[in-house]
Amino acid sequence: MFAGGDGTYDFKNEWLEPEYHVDETKIHLMDFQSDDDTIYSLYVGDIAQIATDTIILYLHGNAKSMDYFWETAGLFANLGGSHHFGFIMYDYRGFGRSTGRSTGEESMAADYNAVVSYLLSQGLTSDRLVVVGSSLGSLAAGPAAAGGSDISINKLVMETPQSTANVIMQNATGLSLPASMITSYKFDLAQNMEDYVGELLWMHGTEDDVAPVETAEAAMQKHQGSYYQEAVYDGAGHGLRWDIGDEEWSNVVLDFIRR
Amino acid sequence: MMKIKLFTVLGTLFLAVSCTPTKVVVPLQEGQWQIGVTQGRPQVNNSYLPVLGAYVAKGVSHTKTNYGGIQFSSLFLGAIQLEGGRVATLIPHDGFRPGISYSYGAQTFLSTRDYAFRIYPEAGVNAYLKQGPHILNASINTWVDPTWFMTDFGRGQLLAPSFSAGYRLRYKWFEAQVEYKVLNPTRNLQIPQNTIPNTFGLGGRGMYLGVALNF
Repeated sequence: MFAGGDGTYDFKNEWLEPEYHVDETKIHLMDFQSDDDTIYSLYVGDIAQIATDTIILYLHGNAKSMDYFWETAGLFANLGGSHHFGFIMYDYRGFGRSTGRSTGEESMAADYNAVVSYLLSQGLTSDRLVVVGSSLGSLAAGPAAAGGSDISINKLVMETPQSTANVIMQNATGLSLPASMITSYKFDLAQNMEDYVGELLWMHGTEDDVAPVETAEAAMQKHQGSYYQEAVYDGAGHGLRWDIGDEEWSNVVLDFIRR
Repeated sequence: MMKIKLFTVLGTLFLAVSCTPTKVVVPLQEGQWQIGVTQGRPQVNNSYLPVLGAYVAKGVSHTKTNYGGIQFSSLFLGAIQLEGGRVATLIPHDGFRPGISYSYGAQTFLSTRDYAFRIYPEAGVNAYLKQGPHILNASINTWVDPTWFMTDFGRGQLLAPSFSAGYRLRYKWFEAQVEYKVLNPTRNLQIPQNTIPNTFGLGGRGMYLGVALNF
């Protein structure tokens, strides 16, 4: 169902703004086994400190590979100070150099848990995990937060999430057609949020034409967990961080992580 | 940046669903059959993706023609989309005075995955000028969504109208069709990370081509 790119994985400071430079000795390209496929992942931080650091697991949006999110990695690596948090992201099957094809909820969950299993093996505990699902990444983050994660999620950031597969179908056709007319991938973030008991930060722009704010709001507000916060910005689009600026974006995320 | 095939598939379905062309504008002669193939070319981004369908029509009287059709593109995606209906003359054309016909019927969708079923009754009115083999038409059509309330988060709407204008060459056993259509102008259609171009800010748009045999 998904198609990605080749994945050059050129993770160097020369591609980052100076304020987002990282210690290049802390850049680790790793691969994990997910069913019969190989998933490529980037960890930025000291691996030995996974057992003690707060780790941000970033589920990236729809691009050819995580190359496109190297700047985001640099931002997270400097959030709250240089390498204050550990940061990890990975390419779903069929994205970047990850093999195979993402076919729906099962493959997305398997890839997610392949990465989480590694973090668990390095000593990560639930209270130090922050999951950030951005756009497409929300499709993996939702089921994980709802109980599908091998380590329970207590802090979840949903940045410009979709809502349900049916909504995409119905917005594209203007009719009451269910997504099953064209796909077996029936994601439902509204149900996921209803089942998620931890803390949630939802970030969105009112002018998002990729994930309409009205339906995202309806899905996110199903959340009845321990804490709910929303940050909705007038005039911002799907490229939320670019529209509101790194400073505002970082402040909101950092405040949520630290609360 | 957006390369997920899911959204491409959705775009294609948008084409398939919304771009069923007007099958018959001027009723056929009594007893006459028409078999045609259509290529909807609705626009997403800068591309016109081909959406294929076929239909058969029969003149049941000199003022009424029944038709039925299938959309192959929907079938390819896993949905059986069938349609059927009738076109009837309301006011015959007379020289340069346009003729008026009306149509009614239904579109049905059946998912081959979970057997979800939807039916959308439709009705339309065509104004046409017919001079020899040349037919010019302007049409308005609307699908009725009786299950609008089954949309997620209550975002459905009862009517899905469209407007079209076209030209047909009906010469003996052959007919060629071209039609421009404005789709669902009452709604902002969206496909994630794709653009649906519109006409004067209204809905989507598409161009149809068709060929048919009359016998």
